[in-house]
Amino acid sequence: MATSMLERLGRQFGYDERSAALLVLPVFAVLMVVAVYPIIYSFYTSLFDIVLTRPWRRPFVGFGNYARIFADPLFWTAVQRTTVYTVVTVSITTVMALFVALLLNEAFPGRRLLSALILLPWATPSIVNGLMWKWIYDPGYGLLNGILVQLGLLEKYIVWLGDPDKTLFMIANAAIWKQMPLAAILLLVSMKSISNDLYRAATVDGANVFQRFLHVTLPALKPGLMLVLVYETMISIRHFDLFLIMTQGGPGDASYTLSWQIYVETFRNLKFGIGAALSYVLALATFILSYLFIRGFGSKA
Amino acid sequence: MSAATDDGRRAMIAKRWGRGILITLFSALLVIYVAGPVAWLVSSSLQSEADITAVPPNWLPPKVTFGNFEAIFSTKTREVTYETRRQGDPATGSFLPSGAENLLPALWNSFTVGMWVAILNLVVSITAAYAIAVIHFKGRQAALYTILVTRVIPDIALIVPLFLVMRNLDLVNTRFALIVTYLAVTVPFTIFILISYFEQIPRDLYRAARADGCSHVQALRHVYLPLSLPALVASVMFAFLTSWNEFIFALILTQNITSQTLPIVISGFVMDFTTSFSFVNAAGVIAIVPPVVLAMMFERYIVSGLTAGAVKG
Repeated sequence: MATSMLERLGRQFGYDERSAALLVLPVFAVLMVVAVYPIIYSFYTSLFDIVLTRPWRRPFVGFGNYARIFADPLFWTAVQRTTVYTVVTVSITTVMALFVALLLNEAFPGRRLLSALILLPWATPSIVNGLMWKWIYDPGYGLLNGILVQLGLLEKYIVWLGDPDKTLFMIANAAIWKQMPLAAILLLVSMKSISNDLYRAATVDGANVFQRFLHVTLPALKPGLMLVLVYETMISIRHFDLFLIMTQGGPGDASYTLSWQIYVETFRNLKFGIGAALSYVLALATFILSYLFIRGFGSKA
Repeated sequence: MSAATDDGRRAMIAKRWGRGILITLFSALLVIYVAGPVAWLVSSSLQSEADITAVPPNWLPPKVTFGNFEAIFSTKTREVTYETRRQGDPATGSFLPSGAENLLPALWNSFTVGMWVAILNLVVSITAAYAIAVIHFKGRQAALYTILVTRVIPDIALIVPLFLVMRNLDLVNTRFALIVTYLAVTVPFTIFILISYFEQIPRDLYRAARADGCSHVQALRHVYLPLSLPALVASVMFAFLTSWNEFIFALILTQNITSQTLPIVISGFVMDFTTSFSFVNAAGVIAIVPPVVLAMMFERYIVSGLTAGAVKG
């Protein structure tokens, strides 16, 4: 009796392991080809001085590409642009999403329509997003100039994307428009999980709206906020499409971000070695940043 | 006493009014910010070249024209030459971009790629998510983290090696290359969503099924799949929308009409300075319609499916 049960357990265990392996196998096969292998290959490439205009010679340079990147002032410009862009996009997206989630968490007529409507930007392909805002910013015929002048807020038309001080923020606005809805939905879901009793208790204790938000809503939102911050940071750091459509890194180097630099080095200058090294730096930075975010927020939550 | 309750009632009414006004105000601002840009995109796609360049801009088309859409759907059948074009009319060519005839094939490419990604993504993700969420096997944590970590790496870092891999396999300029690549984007996220969903299903159901002699495949089919319909629908939507939206991989991996997707063809128009904005906007409207219709139709599933368990913390 005892042995047969043990046997059965043993068989059961083996069956589980075998099934699990079989069931996970397809995913790993796919990810091997399209994610793991490329990333290893990318590191390998980054150790060689590969320039496509002279494909016959690709000397091994070790970490030479990395040294060249760090010595390049344009790289540090790109780091600075990426940082500004990411901080602006992520912070405004998060704050706006918080307001939108608070609004959608209230009961009022038309709420369902509104929550369906905010999926609109989310479903808009980013290329269309870019062309749409480029058209709105158009210096001659754009809506933004039109409205501001008609309202008397602006005296003459402005070249929005052509002003180095404004470019990054104008692109950030297009990004926020697209990214805010998902962030709002994520926050809304964690808001809905807060028990009403907590609010009632706080009200009985004499807490006003702002105190209730500060002491009940905000702490309960921490996991949701962490998710939004990590996700939005990842998205913003690697943004590329909008830059290609709207400014091509310009004017001057005003919107010259890291993703854009990778594109330029790889596909315009055809320096695959430098491009791979840059990609690796970006991947590593993204990885460390998300790790820090999760550690930092996770311990407090 | 009665004065006090009167005051109280008045304060209540004032508060309710204040709340109503605040909500209306915020809602109006939100609608303007979210829908305004799209409304203007649609409005300008219905204007002629002359109307679209008016200063100040025409908020609504003074005269609605479907010329831009007509141009998109008739580029194949009507040849526009210098002699036959009408000046100032995007539909007959003076502002028609050179790649205009690629738009319909691109629409088809986007559609087929999206469908294949949606199907294959679901097939591979379901089994893996079941194994990780339900079967307690050694190394399931490691498997999960390996899958999730692949998504931390920026797409742009994968693009060069992927291009080289596809070139060596002679797959550049095929839709197959895009389908396989998009799986790398959608699969980790789908697995994450499905795992959170599967874990919410009571374990007793699993135990009962296994005690009845169900194999893992049978337990998956008869217990887990029927109970996770919202997550499955959300995954299909998400995969389709992701590949409909994707740009950078398609930009590098496809260079001709047999495989280029809608975003690539449209981006070509945007960067061509002679192209009419009303024509580009019409193309943009066409690219926006399928994903928006899908998102609105399946709104409930998308919201509940994509966020189930994701924010539990």
